[in-house]
Amino acid sequence: MVTIEGKREEVANGAALASLLAAGIGAFAVGFIVILNETGLFAAPALYAPAGGVSGRTTLSAVIWLAGWAVLHNRWKNRQIKSRGVHLLSMILIGLGVVLTLPPVWKLL
Amino acid sequence: METMLFTERSIWTMLHGIVLGGGALMATSAALFSLCAMRTDHALDSALQKQARYLLWLTVFTAVVLWLTVLVGTYVTFPPYRATPPEGLTDLSQYPRSLIQSNPRTVWLHSFAMEVKEHLPWIAAMLSTAVAFISVRYRSQLLSDAQLNKMATTLTAICFGLVSFVAILGVFINKVAPLE
Repeated sequence: MVTIEGKREEVANGAALASLLAAGIGAFAVGFIVILNETGLFAAPALYAPAGGVSGRTTLSAVIWLAGWAVLHNRWKNRQIKSRGVHLLSMILIGLGVVLTLPPVWKLL
Repeated sequence: METMLFTERSIWTMLHGIVLGGGALMATSAALFSLCAMRTDHALDSALQKQARYLLWLTVFTAVVLWLTVLVGTYVTFPPYRATPPEGLTDLSQYPRSLIQSNPRTVWLHSFAMEVKEHLPWIAAMLSTAVAFISVRYRSQLLSDAQLNKMATTLTAICFGLVSFVAILGVFINKVAPLE
């Protein structure tokens, strides 16, 4: 954001952290929904039959990601937030999301 | 009768893997390099504003191309890959999943490689979207604010790792059972 005097104002970091944490939530949602499917606890319905269940699993994950992002953005967009905890939580969620999509992990359950 | 050099399925596969997937891989690596190389402490430098604008377009391009790769992969090239062959068919060349599963040496290309390819790229697309959003909202602050820069760089690095991994799995599958 540039002011009339040409000086640059620092934009609060809340919106960036909201997008980071939402990405973590989305990544975890992908892995969690895949695990639920593989363990037979929940199977997202196929939204496009030729693609099969993956269309439902990924669309549901994307909806969770966008909904989480919308909520976090509205709450944090104008706030300056301590980033360390959000960073850590996001990285854990992304890591879990990635690991849970790996087939060797499914076999451990 | 003249036969087609490339079938429609083959063209979609090339579009998915080489044009879009390759483009996403290159754009992600360019974004990662730019985030590291353009980092600075001079927030009011006019050259920085210009660099930030280039970076903005690069990150937006990366996210768009990655989403296109994911959507084309899921909804265009995956359905013919997983199609079930008619009962008793011996030539499985038009049915990549069945072809892969018919050989014990290549079964892992479905049970591991394709299973990973079905889901992991969606995570990469979400991460790249977050980076594009940060780039659009924060402009040159992304290059002058160390914490923001580190956040975007980390997400882009993870994204690059995921895209590279998925790309090489795609190459393996396409080598053994191409969609033709």
